[in-house]
Amino acid sequence: MLVLFVRPTQQQKYPVYNLTFIIDITRSMNATDYQLNSQAVSRLQFVKDALRKIITNLPCQSKVGLGLFTERRSTLLFEPIEVCSSYAEIDTTLSKIDWRMAWAADSNIAKGLLSTLEMLKKGESRIVFITDGQEAPPVNPNYRADFSGLKDKVKGLIIGVGGLQAVPIPKFDSNGAPTGFYSEDDVPHRSTFGQSNLDPSQIEGYNARNAPFGSQAITGTEHLTALHETYLEQLAIESGLGYARLTDSQNLKIALQNPELAILRPVQVDIRWHSALLALLMLCIIYSPDPKLLLQFYMRRIKKQHS
Amino acid sequence: MNLAVDSPWLLSGLVLVLLPLFNSGMRLTPNPWLTMIPTDSMSTLLSLLLRLMAMAAIAGLVLGMAGLHRTEQSIERIGQGAHIVILLDRSNSMDNSFAGKAPSGKEESKADSARRLLSEFVSQRKSDLIGVAEFSTAPLFVMPLTENKQAVLSAIAATSTPALAYTHVSKGLGMALSFFQQQAVTGSRIVLLVSDGAAAVDADSEQKLREWFKQQQVRLYWIFLRTTNSPGIFDKPLDSRDDNAQAMPELYLHKFLSSLGSPYKAYEAESPNALRDAIADINRLENLPMYYLERVPRLDLTDRCYQLALLLMTLLLGVKYFEVNVKND
Repeated sequence: MLVLFVRPTQQQKYPVYNLTFIIDITRSMNATDYQLNSQAVSRLQFVKDALRKIITNLPCQSKVGLGLFTERRSTLLFEPIEVCSSYAEIDTTLSKIDWRMAWAADSNIAKGLLSTLEMLKKGESRIVFITDGQEAPPVNPNYRADFSGLKDKVKGLIIGVGGLQAVPIPKFDSNGAPTGFYSEDDVPHRSTFGQSNLDPSQIEGYNARNAPFGSQAITGTEHLTALHETYLEQLAIESGLGYARLTDSQNLKIALQNPELAILRPVQVDIRWHSALLALLMLCIIYSPDPKLLLQFYMRRIKKQHS
Repeated sequence: MNLAVDSPWLLSGLVLVLLPLFNSGMRLTPNPWLTMIPTDSMSTLLSLLLRLMAMAAIAGLVLGMAGLHRTEQSIERIGQGAHIVILLDRSNSMDNSFAGKAPSGKEESKADSARRLLSEFVSQRKSDLIGVAEFSTAPLFVMPLTENKQAVLSAIAATSTPALAYTHVSKGLGMALSFFQQQAVTGSRIVLLVSDGAAAVDADSEQKLREWFKQQQVRLYWIFLRTTNSPGIFDKPLDSRDDNAQAMPELYLHKFLSSLGSPYKAYEAESPNALRDAIADINRLENLPMYYLERVPRLDLTDRCYQLALLLMTLLLGVKYFEVNVKND
């Protein structure tokens, strides 16, 4: 019994996490196609809420960093910090994330992901890139990001956010008050950058120098937004990341428990409870009521009742 | 004193404490007639004591296994320090050197120097609450006011990622002032603006900033990282046609900040050394007494529980040796 108490801890391999969350804060993330406590909330709000729950559940010694994505790249707000000692700070910063922090208003997810991987490839942190896949303007397939140099160098996950049903994107004025939704005329429905990816003979009003994309007005559904899941899955394959869709914080938690993301780290685990349990059992045996005496006690009572 | 346990369900094991009440844990010696033995108060006392010891030992083991601890607490102290919000410029030009070029070889960019020296500054300020905000075209909330220096340092370290876009200083100042909104006024409140440029402040934000500075009683330090051959904050316009906020935004921002009526000091740093001197100056100036909450980390009490249980069990074990073994023939 005494010997058991001498060695109080033991080295055990324990999964801990080192995650850098990169959150898309482009306008389409304001689309409200999630429900929280039976209230419609924006994608960004839902992501923030899910992450705040996730962080309370990460084991101590895990580290969390936070970054934002807009335009063609992301910025890191803080490098990964230990969750248990800095929980309040991470939580406050998460709650303050706002689409108005965006320093520019484009959204090119492939390039953003590429620059993020480039930026974070030196660290040992796993990347969790959270986006809805909506690009503005849509990317010309001739100018796709090339992930070949980075494939499998960085581990991580792409999390798709949003519903599969297209919904309108809310519009806000400079004070942050809602002013309706983006209409068809507000957004470009096609990229007109660089060389056209179409066959010139098929384009109406084509002119190699002045109108490489033709003269026709293009209409489309880019003012509506839905989760571009196939696109994100394809990006995930190209960049060697995993993919999961965010439906609730529970499903995000399961996606993050992917063994690829966890780092097995030796942690001093308190195992004194082993010996304490043994000692407790022994004490219980010593002090457990003697069955013979109990039996006698009951027999006597029964006899009393009968007489 | 707030006590808590890690696994409350284990507390159900406390029921076992009752066991010694039913069984003395001693070998019983059959005796023909109990009345023959005189009542001995000493023995009764001893038996009671042994049972209590056993109960305490069981309780100690169970509480130890449940992980008894005193929760994290904050103690109010009076010390020297300040509430500091570091407001960092993340505009593209911060990634250039003081000479205005892309840094080459051993040269440091302005952002690098600022990062290095601010990290030193943060490490020196032991009892301060420090927050971090950044701005380029839009303001970024990075780290709330906190005594967690590790978190602040990691936020400053994260500025090593490439800079963002333009300089929208009025929004950044607004964001920095918002940090103090739910904070009690104690000690000095400081906004430390580190930027390498300025922008014209529009009339609307100008009015709001004046209002907020008055409300929040904030002192402002502006460390202007001046690039060689660029206009400084103390320069006088050579041509009267240039005497406007668009042509000389630095001078006009300086004029605006001086007119706020709240304490304000500007430093113009043209080299990493000048930047270090400016930070050292602020470090010396800002040592007013203030109330702050010191965090006392949680205190693990499982050691005590196990030690108590161990001591009692050893005693009980000793007592066991004194038991007389009467052979029943």
